Amino acid sequence: MKLGRVIGRVTLSVACSALKGARWLIVDPCGREAVQTLANGQELSTLSKGPSPVVYDDLGGGVGDIIGYVEGAEAAAPFENPTPIDAIDAAIVDQVFYNPFES
Amino acid sequence: MLLARVVGNVVATQKHKSLAGQRLILCQPEGLDGKPAGAPLVAIDPLGAGMHQRVNLSSDGLTARNIVNDPRSPARYIIIGIVDEVTA
Repeated sequence: MKLGRVIGRVTLSVACSALKGARWLIVDPCGREAVQTLANGQELSTLSKGPSPVVYDDLGGGVGDIIGYVEGAEAAAPFENPTPIDAIDAAIVDQVFYNPFES
Repeated sequence: MLLARVVGNVVATQKHKSLAGQRLILCQPEGLDGKPAGAPLVAIDPLGAGMHQRVNLSSDGLTARNIVNDPRSPARYIIIGIVDEVTA
């Protein structure tokens, strides 16, 4: 799983039949600095560089939540039928403990 | 597979049912020089790795699904070994 902050939602007017009624979240991936900010109990204010993935959600994540999302073929594993999904929300994170290693 | 260092853990009440009861730890992938590379990842830890230990991280979903014992689990990163020594 990667950690990310939900920064928005997507609704589809036309979707492939396997994805009718799905909930989608736009996620800003958390890098090292963002994880440190979260562990300090502070709010994230800046966006990370790079693209923001759209993540399938069946746990009920909302804007502002920190989620653990899985990317890749494993994201489609929970579905019985072949589903064109590349990223899925696997956990809504309550708390992050982070203590970076300094050599 | 990745060399990584255990740098923390994550608490999540609401999660995929296959992850219930699993230890979710935060792993920082590292280069050979021990410098952090990229963003930290959340992995399942069936071995009980300790804080700041070096671990071997696999991204194999099939192994992860076997370990959580659910063929419909989205689990991906999993700790498959605790590192004693790295020589290069």
